[in-house]
Amino acid sequence: MKIGLKNEEELDNYIICHKCHTLHREVPIADGAKALCSYCGMVLYHRDSRIIDHGLALALSGLIFFILANTFPLIKIDLLGNESFISITSMVFSLADNGYYLVGLFVLYLIFIFPLMIFLIYLLIFSLMKMKRGRVLTKELLILLSHIQPWHMSDIFLVSILVAVVKLFGMAEIHLGVSFWTLIVFVLIDIYMTRTIHLGELWVLRKKVYQSEGKEVQHAHC
Amino acid sequence: MLTVESEKLIACPVCEAVNIDKERNNCCRRCGSKIYHHRNSPVEKSWAYLITAMVFYVPANIYPMMIIRQFGVETESTILGGIIHLWEYGDYPIALIILVASVFVPIVKFLLLIYLLVSARSPIGNDKRVDKHKLYFFTEVVGPWSMVDVFVVGILAALVHLSSVEIIAGTAATAFAASVFFTLMAAHAFDTKLIRGNR
Repeated sequence: MKIGLKNEEELDNYIICHKCHTLHREVPIADGAKALCSYCGMVLYHRDSRIIDHGLALALSGLIFFILANTFPLIKIDLLGNESFISITSMVFSLADNGYYLVGLFVLYLIFIFPLMIFLIYLLIFSLMKMKRGRVLTKELLILLSHIQPWHMSDIFLVSILVAVVKLFGMAEIHLGVSFWTLIVFVLIDIYMTRTIHLGELWVLRKKVYQSEGKEVQHAHC
Repeated sequence: MLTVESEKLIACPVCEAVNIDKERNNCCRRCGSKIYHHRNSPVEKSWAYLITAMVFYVPANIYPMMIIRQFGVETESTILGGIIHLWEYGDYPIALIILVASVFVPIVKFLLLIYLLVSARSPIGNDKRVDKHKLYFFTEVVGPWSMVDVFVVGILAALVHLSSVEIIAGTAATAFAASVFFTLMAAHAFDTKLIRGNR
């Protein structure tokens, strides 16, 4: 199939499905609706006229719950009068204490540094867009975001906690701490956020927000 | 006015923008990222990561994943040993989760990536009928879940640290984490353009 374009810029009206790589032309849809791929049914894009406000609210609440999840104990066990508890960070230090520096560092990145960075970046991007400032910075942040997003595993960690708890169930008395519940809320916010705000949409939004500032500077090595 | 074949359009792996494929030195017009610059050796990078991951998967299964020290007696269990142990104790759901996460997921991912990489060069059998984009998407979604076992061992080792009972992470934890890391890298390095025209 041949496609006629006035210039390369017009390619922004097209979208390639992330799952099946089918080419689609973007069509206007109602506010709050979403467009699905005609071949595989995957969500292509959403339309949300207040995406910046929604994004800000989600990023801020996600961050609050993440901080809460890291300040209180996660699980507490009671075995024959011996008590011990862990938090997300103490688990990493315990791995390092036993000589597993590499695993400890890897886990630290997956369940602490990357989730924290992702939500800070979201917060920063949406606040900058709200103020219509920092055109270059938002671009760098969006690139960084797409590089670290596949490496964030809070949801998998949550399932691991459940598995560990069930494994210990007969052995000791287990109390789930405040952190556990706040971590659940954090993971739910995170899942909702990645499902309703795609990275591609943020790039489209960025183009719209900074449109008045004229043409973008092209990259030297391109 | 310019006219492009729709086959010539590729998505930027970083920002998802639609770009015109210029065969070599592709660079995204929106975010400036290089789009699979290693065109002269399209599959080698992915192969290298994949082979490293498979090498690490061997010690991950041979060495103990978890050591339980109870009243001075040490019991070591490997990944498979742990699953069998759980199954015998009747913890079927947990045994299944661990079995899927640390045995099925890595092996299925290895096989799928090998298939995708081999068939990118030389089509196997009736290649056209397999939806390779779906297979690749599947490996991307399912991949990180093999970290479950490492996390569980980490949690147990941190939590059960008492005078009577102690759980210690085994050598396999490092090997397994490395294996997961390199399979994820292999999947990221895979150039989806190699499976275009598949449908």
